[in-house]
Amino acid sequence: MQQLLNGIFIGSIYALFAIGFTLVFGILDRLNLAHPAVFAASAFVGIELVERGGLSLWAALPIVFVFGAVLGLVIERVAFRPLKGRADAHFAGLISSIALAGMLVALLQWRYGPDTRRFPPGSFPDTRFEFAGAQVTLVQVVILVISLALMVGLTYMVTRTRLGRGMRAVAENPTAARVLGVDVDRVTAVTFAISSALGAVAGVLFAINVNTAQLGMGSAIELKGLAVIIVGGMGSLPGALIGGLLLGLAEVFAVQYIGSSWRDVIAFGLLFVILLLRPQGLLGARKVREV
Amino acid sequence: MLDQYATTLTFIALGAIFAYSFYAVLIAGQLSLGQAGFASLAAFSGASLAPSGADVGEVPALLIAVVIGMSVGALAAVVLGLPTMHLRGVFLAIATLGFAEAVRVVLLNQEWTGGAQGLGVPRVLTVGMAWMALALVAYWFWRMGRSRYGRALEAIREDELAARSMGIDVGRHRLAAFVTAGAVAGLYGVLYAYYVRLIAPGDFDFTAAVEGLVTAVVGGSTMFLGPLLGSGFQTIVPEVQRAVGVEAGWIRPFLAGLLLLVVILFLPGGLASLIPRRTRMPSGADDDTAGLAGRRHPAAGEPVVTLAGLGKEYGGVHAVRGVDLEIRAGEVVGLIGPNGAGKTTLVNMISGLVPPSTGSATVLGTAIGSTPVHRIAAAGVSRTFQHSKLFNRLSALENVLVGAHLVSRPTFLRRLLWLPSARRDERAALRQAARCLERVGLTSLAATRAEALSYGDQRRLEIARALASDPSLLILDEPAAGMNHVEAAQLSQLIRSLAQDGLTILFIEHNVGMVLQTCSRVVVLNFGEVIASGAPEAIAADPAVIEAYLGSADDDVDGGLLAEGTRADATPAEDAPPDAVLNLRPGDAGSLDTPDTSPREAT
Repeated sequence: MQQLLNGIFIGSIYALFAIGFTLVFGILDRLNLAHPAVFAASAFVGIELVERGGLSLWAALPIVFVFGAVLGLVIERVAFRPLKGRADAHFAGLISSIALAGMLVALLQWRYGPDTRRFPPGSFPDTRFEFAGAQVTLVQVVILVISLALMVGLTYMVTRTRLGRGMRAVAENPTAARVLGVDVDRVTAVTFAISSALGAVAGVLFAINVNTAQLGMGSAIELKGLAVIIVGGMGSLPGALIGGLLLGLAEVFAVQYIGSSWRDVIAFGLLFVILLLRPQGLLGARKVREV
Repeated sequence: MLDQYATTLTFIALGAIFAYSFYAVLIAGQLSLGQAGFASLAAFSGASLAPSGADVGEVPALLIAVVIGMSVGALAAVVLGLPTMHLRGVFLAIATLGFAEAVRVVLLNQEWTGGAQGLGVPRVLTVGMAWMALALVAYWFWRMGRSRYGRALEAIREDELAARSMGIDVGRHRLAAFVTAGAVAGLYGVLYAYYVRLIAPGDFDFTAAVEGLVTAVVGGSTMFLGPLLGSGFQTIVPEVQRAVGVEAGWIRPFLAGLLLLVVILFLPGGLASLIPRRTRMPSGADDDTAGLAGRRHPAAGEPVVTLAGLGKEYGGVHAVRGVDLEIRAGEVVGLIGPNGAGKTTLVNMISGLVPPSTGSATVLGTAIGSTPVHRIAAAGVSRTFQHSKLFNRLSALENVLVGAHLVSRPTFLRRLLWLPSARRDERAALRQAARCLERVGLTSLAATRAEALSYGDQRRLEIARALASDPSLLILDEPAAGMNHVEAAQLSQLIRSLAQDGLTILFIEHNVGMVLQTCSRVVVLNFGEVIASGAPEAIAADPAVIEAYLGSADDDVDGGLLAEGTRADATPAEDAPPDAVLNLRPGDAGSLDTPDTSPREAT
């Protein structure tokens, strides 16, 4: 039971991270490899807000959300917009976002140094619950609630609002969307902003969950994020959620029953089987990209 | 002097070899990150299976390890490639990345690899050996560039479907590129192992794979010098920073990232685009040697296409229904009909792009249905597309050279050995391409990239490319779309002259006047069914045809209108009674679309 809950907690963070990844891919057909750098950067910024700014953990989250959104706009402007219309935009976007990610991590190193950082002691409330014989902290519950709330909010936005309609139109066919009066550039920028904001919150929650932030934390989760979006179906939001939870659970149980050194094989074994049997992912539709 | 830079130079060579393993697949438009896994498997198996240097000498031991490593890399690529070659783009990248990560974790948990501690390997590789290996790899890709095989890979990168229609077996070529990548990555793995003294599975992780990809793309993935330039750039940037006294820490990775960003944003073709590319021109005069191996064409009157009850259904909608049609050698058959009548679906079935749902069809002795597109092309079918599907970043001449894929001989292996026969074959292909370009009047634009051509020229280039394979059946899908009437008249003349050479032609066209003038037989399709078939004059007078095009026979529009090729005005839609308007719906776009019909000066 304890393992099950742990799997769900870590899985919800994976899902939140992957949903940002998959949002950009589903709508814009671009893989943004600067996403993991946003994840890492926001963890450090979150710790600084609590440590120096004296904010409470929960007050820091909205600020980090905004910080992530701004980073998303920068990434779109610098690494993706200049490539518009180029025949090799697909490859070039991968490389330019890798370059930008390298620069972001270098800036983090400049500001915070190469060492692992932690939240100051006493940042976490130490309320604990007993739940079906397992120990659950308040922090873990809040992580789960925030992740789920953000994902539900995003789904609502994409399916119900005007902006969401614009996004889906762009996903179907950017040219047609433009002809119909959708401001494609704005939708693109907003998509990046939302995606990065979610990645940023995922970064802080991850840092809270394990109480550390490292320069390499982005690359560590990057592979998992890729695995999750493939397993769930590229561009599928519910797919990313299910994929994230599945991966979280699989990892926790793999550590329990097989051994920790094999943990990473689980993600990729799962990934490989899915790709071979169902290339469109669990919930993905082939060709027809959904948001 | 050299010693001082030996390490840097060796790493440039190693980095370049690794980047070539990415280049090998990028050139065919495949994004793979599995090379790290191939290199890892090769490094560990090579280093542990090769005899020790004490027994056979150090250099022979290295050579044996290289052979083992390259074989292991290639084998791993086959094993990984067979199930994943149907994946495209990012999906392939992530699947191969998954493989590489799985390899890393598995090797990490093995006894014989030393696990996380790593495996000690003697240092045998010298800077000279590293550069010799690099030179061999670069040579391989240099000679590949202008061979039939190299062109086919580039064609696949630019437009896979068009490449298939030119008779290229895309699956085999993609797998071949992948296996090459595996072998080169294997070479890198072994050389790396014999240089760094201690290898661990972590040396071949995701970061390493990304590094290799970045190096290849920065250098330029469309020119064989690209990986070398990329590796030089990636290795020297940190060295220069160190030399000018930039301290270790954040500035170095920051500047490296910035430079990478600048290169990728402002040099679309990578660093290699700074090198002017020699464009090939058709060599004209020397007609001393024989041309390409032609094929045996069916004699006039023999059946070329036989369709029996052919139909295609899309989710309950019958795009084509029960079409029986026979086309005999030497005929010029025009296929007309309103938009949505199923014309393109029909030719897609004949050329093998779309499998029929019902009925059967034989094209040049090949049954269509499950036969892959490239086989049907090999039987002698060549086509153009409604929306140009050219190989955009290749020159006009190269486009046509790809078109000649089926009638030219493979030249890559002979080019590696500089055999004169390869040169002869390439010349013959060039002459063939030049002839085709001349035929459509594009000789002066031979060196222009296809994407830079005007719309009309692109359409003509498509025809030249289709002609290059010396087809028995040529299918043209709206070749005159967007052409003005002068160009359309020239096209009509070209088609007739091709027919005189004995070519069988099937073409779709909305320019009814042009069809009536050009064809020996006209087939009219409406709602997926053949509503008329016969000589142009008969068709022009056929009430069913007029109705399909103009809505209703009792409108005050007579058959002569079509025959004269005057524009079918928009007026019928306004003049017709309400029921006729309804009737006209599916067809109206067809008649209105009819572009400035017919060469007027010809009538």
